[in-house]
Amino acid sequence: MDFELTDEQQLIRDAVREFAESEIVPVAAEIDRDHRFPAELLPKLAEMNLMGMTFPEKEGGAGADYVSYVIAVEEVSRACASTGIIMSSHNSLATWPVYKFGTRAQKDRYMHDMASGRRLGAFALTEPAAGTDAAAGTTTAVRTGDGYVLNGSKMFISNAPHAEVYIVFAKTDPDRGTRGISAFIVEGDTPGFAVGEAEHKMGIRGSSTPPLYFTDMRIPKEALLGEEGEGFKIAMATLDGGRIGVSAQALGIAQAALEAGVDYAKERVQFGKPIANLQAIQWMIADSALQVDAARLLVYRAAACVAAGRPYSTEGAMAKLFASETATRVADRAIQIHGGYGYTEAYPVERHYRDAKITELYEGTSEVQRMVIARSALR
Amino acid sequence: MKIVVAYKWTRDPEEASARPDGTVDWSRAKPGLSTYDPVAIEVARQLAAETGAELIGVTVGDKGVGTPLACKAALGRGLDRVVTVEDGSLADAGRSELAAVLAEVIKHIGDVDLVVTGDSSMDVAAKMVPTVLAGELGWPAVAEVTSVTGKAGELRVGREIPGGAQVLEISGPAVLATSADAAAPRVPGMKDLLAAGKKPVEHLDLAALKVSPQNAVMTVTGRSLPERKVRKGQLIDTADPAQAADELLTALRQAGAL
Ligand SMILES: Cc1cc2nc3c(=O)[nH]c(=O)nc-3n(C[C@H](O)[C@H](O)[C@H](O)COP(=O)(O)OP(=O)(O)OC[C@H]3O[C@@H](n4cnc5c(N)ncnc54)[C@H](O)[C@@H]3O)c2cc1C
Repeated sequence: MDFELTDEQQLIRDAVREFAESEIVPVAAEIDRDHRFPAELLPKLAEMNLMGMTFPEKEGGAGADYVSYVIAVEEVSRACASTGIIMSSHNSLATWPVYKFGTRAQKDRYMHDMASGRRLGAFALTEPAAGTDAAAGTTTAVRTGDGYVLNGSKMFISNAPHAEVYIVFAKTDPDRGTRGISAFIVEGDTPGFAVGEAEHKMGIRGSSTPPLYFTDMRIPKEALLGEEGEGFKIAMATLDGGRIGVSAQALGIAQAALEAGVDYAKERVQFGKPIANLQAIQWMIADSALQVDAARLLVYRAAACVAAGRPYSTEGAMAKLFASETATRVADRAIQIHGGYGYTEAYPVERHYRDAKITELYEGTSEVQRMVIARSALR
Repeated sequence: MKIVVAYKWTRDPEEASARPDGTVDWSRAKPGLSTYDPVAIEVARQLAAETGAELIGVTVGDKGVGTPLACKAALGRGLDRVVTVEDGSLADAGRSELAAVLAEVIKHIGDVDLVVTGDSSMDVAAKMVPTVLAGELGWPAVAEVTSVTGKAGELRVGREIPGGAQVLEISGPAVLATSADAAAPRVPGMKDLLAAGKKPVEHLDLAALKVSPQNAVMTVTGRSLPERKVRKGQLIDTADPAQAADELLTALRQAGAL
């Protein structure tokens, strides 16, 4: 077994880190403070080919392997978790289902623009009354002669309203439960499509998360992604991959918090010595370093399964659960190491702490990940 | 037109540590492109883009400089191909020796119109190789270069000199050392890095190159650290700036500095 990254993976880490440090770090604290979506970063992410990393070049992507992709999400999130989720939801949640389930015509229409980062994507599954119970949604898509009419609303949609392409899930046959849900590719300028006010969030404040409203929104039949009734399957398959993106985001946050704690412990002097000399601090750093490393192994293992074409649902759930809980714990300890200063905006660790928490919630809560893992263990 | 960028694959001294006996422990320092070499590559890349020139990277040095990782790191920055001389005997090579090998590689490539280098290497920072290399080739050496335009045989070279800027026209081949901030190096994108592995790499054998004896051999005969004053390590720890200033003044007076 070889734990070495390939040359390309190492170079991608170095390049994304260099890019993130020069372009993203300088705005990370500000976009958090101002709840501002960093639209100016999108062309830069696109120029780095980070917005369609794993898709083939002929579809507009970079043609990178999945491990390289998680390394890139990790490095971007180490600089700024908001930018990490903008990138991850665009790649994994919006562009991937088009690539995986789209017809040739749909790919021709969307893939190049999305994978090259010219058009931002979003994934719209959650509704006010349908979170974990994603099949409880009440948004409907009624078939008309030449297409569908959508009515209903969505909640917590990352990248809206900046996204131009939305993967929207709606009931085409409300009596058939999960088999009555269909997926659609909806363009943001469709009449009847409206975006509400973005939520005021605890963390990842640079990523916008507003509700969507559909009022007699007419879309052509070519907007149907996959077959009618396949929507739930598409959503679950997409989230299986999305989770690995979130696990990489969590890993990046954890790494940033670990480094911040180590740096501070070496600098801060109390009782005449750097606090890094105190065993109490060393134990916190040891636990954090250990958990970050273990999380990294799980995240890269899940990504390697995707790259090798092996099943990755359980591996992705394990990676996400462990990495997200690690991010929260490591950020918590990083604040502890900083003492009172860690509780102020003068240091980035309070942001890491607030950012970390979301990774335990979206794309399946930790409870959902445990359910997935238990189901596999009990099989 | 052929443009060669001479670059160094080495270790970052910021990641090295000094042992108590004064020797340097490089084992934890990650190898990489020398800090200012991406600046040289970027300056050369822009000229190559304007002129359609071929952009060739050249590196000579100890084991490691010709690894696939090292070559891809350089190629990912926009070079068309690289030529390396990797030999353990070059580990302790002096500036004159390295320059002589570089000169031989440049002759081997043939018809080179311009050699561009970084300002200085991150590990040694002696700023000597470009000058000695130019001497070996019989070409002019120009340092502190901030821009290059024109074409082979008609180069216009901008440089920062004390008191202002200077523009030179150079009629033949030359060795140019770029200033540290001549260009903002572009971070390679994912596609650049993935394409790097498909570009040609030529490894030359040091013995087969038959490097001619240098015109003059330069040997470093001594090194010393700048004299270091003992620090007092006095810390003024107060949140009140006015009080901090008072304490600083008192301390400076007591020390006889004021
Ligand atoms: C910042 C942010 C961005 C988001 N981005 C998107 C997006 O881009 N697209 C999108 O579609 N959605 C998005 N979401 C929605 C997100 O995926 C949901 O919030 C998440 O799935 C949980 O749903 P819920 O909030 O309704 O919680 P609920 O489902 O109401 O859960 C409440 C609690 O009950 C637990 N619970 C629920 N059911 C079970 C069960 N069966 N067994 C055990 N425990 C259970 C949960 O784990 C949780 O602890 C986003 C959310 C946020 C906050």
